[in-house]
Parts: sequence; structure tokens; C-alpha cells
Amino acid sequence: MAESKGDAAVAVVDDAGRTVQLSHPARRVVSLIPSATETLLAIGAGPLLVGRTRYDVAPEVQHLPLVGGSVDPSIEAIAALRPDLVVSWESDKRQQFRERLERLGVPIFMLRTQDTSDVYRGLRNLGVLTGHSRGAELTAARLRAELDSVRISVAALPRPRVLYVVFNDPPMTVGPHTFIGQLIDLAGGTSIFADATTNWPNVPMEEIVRRNPDIVIVPVGEFKGQALERLRAMPGWRTLPAVREGRLVHVPANLLSRPSPNIGKAARVLRAAMFPAFASAVHAADTAWPALSADGLAPTTVDGRAARR
Amino acid sequence: MSAGTSWAADTRAVPIARLLVLCALLGLAMLAALRFGAVPLSTIDVFDALRGSGSLVHQNILHELRLPRAVQASLVGAALALSGTTYQALLRNPLAEPYVLGVSSGAAFGAVVSVVNGWSQREVWALPLCAFAGAVLAMVLVFRIAWSVGHRLDARVLLLSGVVVSAFLVACIWLLLTFADDESVRTAVFWMMGSHSGASWRSVSVLAVVMLPTAVVLLWQARALNLLAIGEMTAAFLGTNVERSKWWAYAAATFLTAVGVSVSGSIGFVGLVVPHALRLLWGGDHRLLVPASALAGAAFMVSADTAARTVAGANELPIGVVTALVGVPCFVWLLRRPVNGANV
Repeated sequence: MAESKGDAAVAVVDDAGRTVQLSHPARRVVSLIPSATETLLAIGAGPLLVGRTRYDVAPEVQHLPLVGGSVDPSIEAIAALRPDLVVSWESDKRQQFRERLERLGVPIFMLRTQDTSDVYRGLRNLGVLTGHSRGAELTAARLRAELDSVRISVAALPRPRVLYVVFNDPPMTVGPHTFIGQLIDLAGGTSIFADATTNWPNVPMEEIVRRNPDIVIVPVGEFKGQALERLRAMPGWRTLPAVREGRLVHVPANLLSRPSPNIGKAARVLRAAMFPAFASAVHAADTAWPALSADGLAPTTVDGRAARR
Repeated sequence: MSAGTSWAADTRAVPIARLLVLCALLGLAMLAALRFGAVPLSTIDVFDALRGSGSLVHQNILHELRLPRAVQASLVGAALALSGTTYQALLRNPLAEPYVLGVSSGAAFGAVVSVVNGWSQREVWALPLCAFAGAVLAMVLVFRIAWSVGHRLDARVLLLSGVVVSAFLVACIWLLLTFADDESVRTAVFWMMGSHSGASWRSVSVLAVVMLPTAVVLLWQARALNLLAIGEMTAAFLGTNVERSKWWAYAAATFLTAVGVSVSGSIGFVGLVVPHALRLLWGGDHRLLVPASALAGAAFMVSADTAARTVAGANELPIGVVTALVGVPCFVWLLRRPVNGANV
């Protein structure tokens, strides 16, 4: 694939198997997927973005006009921005939305967002479509190095058995083929539900009690420690040894829920959650993380004591 | 000769035997609820864990998860069936059920307010408390509107005001959810589907304390319900203080529904079908029907909850799916059964 600076036509096959052809690299892009927005920012295509959804947290895009939610955007608001590329979900089964945008002459790129290979493929494809292949290659190489260094750093350590709590009521965790499942493995842990056959399985509370995780990891968004306090009071959860003995750790939800080039940081946050010795490294390396305050990044134990201290 | 008139005259043995059968069914349903789940336990395991011996995992699962859940299911099942029985008598409408007067929409509105504002994330008790407040709000609105028409409780006016208040609150719910974040929407929708997964000893003790006196009120009003079910004029001729009895019965039934729905969300079908089924089987005397529907509602709800937890493996079914899938065929069979003189 040649460097596509300039006005040459570009074509890629998207994650839904459709061929997306542009007569020139995109100049006005609307990303409906927060992780794709982060990918575009990482490869230097941020200035091409002309709209945002209400789930985009990066400060670089906050001045852009809002097109609505990620899965329920306003087609009129999108059309009004005259984009020459819209990035949307491969998992979105609504033909109607895609057809209406296509009828308006707006090309759509469908992106899969399940595992780490989707991150690399998304980098490559979005690089081609926006004429930023070079930036995409550099970002991919940096990400590969980041993930390798995390993997090597924990290779000799005993693997804790962890429960990653996507949602607590009813309990939902991650399957082994999601990027979070893969990152837990890479960062030196074993999910107690590594045998799950679906990506986001609902699991019975009884099975959690029986499998008895060493560490419980909870992604926490705007409600912070309050959600953890609540978990600590809930039947089933409150008697888990990991919860009683202070091995309930929270990680920033915005970082952990997005399969973007930031998964290198996510891997380090997970490693610090499982191995307290690595906590200070997370703090030092990630104060530059743009979308979150440095404070929100290091894992914190439930009693509010920062693990990095 | 209907079952309703025969036993009161000659013997009390038949209704007592029927209640004992229902007690035994409830006991079996409870035992099954304690035995079956992701971790299967034998009857011996169950009794060991109840006594505080045996494996710690078993004890935790039993004391923290299964026992409060089974007790909550039985109390809510009893509350809904009692309330359905009462409404069917008062409104003289076979479609009457615990949610017909908008209580569940009110509870759902309260629950959604607490979820959207993040209160439910902070405090375990915020959601049931708000749900209860919403249920009471809906109940006050419905009765206020009905009372303002002619200053008496007319069954048709009550039903209509229940329907419109409910529709209004449902619109408010969707308005709130349109602007809510994904996690709130998920929590709210899951709550609205109904489940006993949030059961705890606290929810169970609150339920029990509130339910027992309310159930006694309904037992006390059972004779008045018999007369009201025939017609308000007849009841008045036969010496019932119609308006006072109606107020007591409406208040008790609505209160039961409100408490039940605030801990478990709205679970359909139990309050509609259990009273009908018992009436079809054993006739319409409320002196038997009131206690029998409490026991049968409890047994049905506990069994449905056990099935919801276990039949689909790790994925818990919404309990409303189970109550409808099992309840409807049973009910159709009862309806089509040849009737031997018993009236409905």
C-alpha cells in the first residue's frame, strides 16, 4: 500500500466485508465510535474530524459539533457536516441507518471492536482512508512494543486469578476473545471465566462465589468509589474473600472500555491492578494520557488509598 | 352446589386440608430453590449449611444468595396473589391484576429517577425506596382522580384513571431514559423486567414486617370481599359498610403491590392467574381464597424463580418469561377443564 498523501483514490475492505472506495483520502470525517476517534487522533488524523458523539472524551474534539449518541446519532446532524467518511460499528445490525447514509452519498467504514487484532487492522485501514498510513504504522509499532514490554515484565510472575466486572447486577464479565480478556492474559493474570464461550457473558453470582477470584477488577466511570462501596455491601459480593481482604481494585472505565491504540496504557493499568509493585510505573508513564486526569489513571484500592503510593 | 357455600355450613376440614396441601407445596418449592443453582447442593448439604456447618462456599451461597432470594420470592409472590385476588373482587373485572391501577408504572418511574440521578449507585436502598415512593405517588394520583369523580370509588372510573396515570408515567420514564447514559438505561431496563436477584436479608425483613399486618387486614375483610364480589348494592343490603370495606381492601392490596414491586420490579402474571386458578379449582369464597392465594402465589413465584435461575445455565431468564411460559398453558388447561358444578 503506497503512501496515499495527495489526491489518489483509496480503497479498503472494511470489517463487514464491504469495499469502501474514496476518490481521494477523506478530508471530513465523522467517527461514531469513541475508540475510532482515539485511533484517528493517535495517527495524526485528528484535524480531519468534523463532529463528535457524546461519548468522545478527548479534549481535542470537545469543540466539534455533536451528532448525538454513538449508536443513535442524528442522521441529519451527520449529513449537515458534509462528511466524506463516517466510521460506524460493524456490530450494528440496522441496515436502515447504513442505507440512509449511503443514499445521502456518504461512504461508511464499518469497524469491528472486539479484540486486539481489530485495533491493528483498524489502524491500518483508517490510515489508508485518511492518507495517514505512515502515522498508523508508527502507532502500530509503538503499541506492539508497549504490549511486548508488559508481556515480558510479568512472564516470570505467578498468575493471579482475576474477575473483571463489566457490570455487577446482573454480573457480567469478559470472554477470552475480547480485547479486555486478551489484555488481562497479556498483563499476567488469568480470568476465572477464561472458559466462557461468548464475549460478554452473564455469569451467576453463585459461580463467582465458587470460583473465588484472587482479585476483583471493576471499571469505574463517573461514580467512582461510590459504586465500589455499593458493591461491597451487596449480597454475594460482600463475602468474597477478595472483596473482604481489600483485593477489590478499580480501573478507569473510559480507558478499559475502548479498543484503541490506548490499550497499551490499559495493559499497564491492568498489570498494576494485579501486581501492586508495578503501580508506580503506571503513574510515571501515564501522566501524559490526554483524556483522563493523572489521578484517574492509577488503580486505587477501595478504601481510597492510591495503590501507587 | 358451589364449593363456596358447602364448607362453611358443615365442615372446616376441607379448606384446612387444602391450605395444608399448599403449605407442603411451598415447602417443596423452597427446598428446590435452596438445592438447585449454579452449584448444585444435596438436601444434606442444604441442612448442613443452614446449621452453619459444612463447606464455607456452600454456607455463603445459601445464607447470602439462595435463602434471602427464596424468601423474597415467596413474600412477593404472596403479596401479588393477595393483591390480585382483592382487586378482582373489588373491581369485579376478570382482567384486574396488581398492576392495573398504575402501581408498577409509578414504581418504575421512581426506580428510573433514582438510577438516572446516580442515587442507586451510591446507596443500595435508594432504588427500592424511590420505587416505593413512586408507587405511592401513582396510587395517590389514581385514587385522587377517581375520588374527584362523584366522591365515591367507582370501579370503572378507578380502572380508567389507573390506565391514564400509568400511560403518563411510562411516557415520563422513556423521556428520562432518552437522555440517560448506557449504564443507567441498562440498569433501569433490567429492573423493569423484574428479578429477585437483588434480594438481601434487609429487603426480606422489611417485606415481612410490612406484609404480615396487611395480609391480616385482607383476611379480616374476606367476608366483605365475598359480598363486594357479587355487587356493591347486594353488599350494602347485607349489612356491609361498603365504602369503608372498599377503602381498607384497596389500601391493603395497593400497599402490598407497592412493597413487592419496589424490591423486585414488576413481575407479571402471578397476580392475575393464581387467584383465577384457585377460583376455578375451589370456588370463590374469599375466606379460603385469601390465604390460599397467598400460599399458592408464594409457591408459584419461588418455583418460577428457581427455573429462571437454572434452566438456561449461566444466563438467568427474566422471571416474567417463566411465569408467563409456565402459567399460560396451565391456565388454559384449567379454563377448558370440564366443570363439576363449581362456579367461577
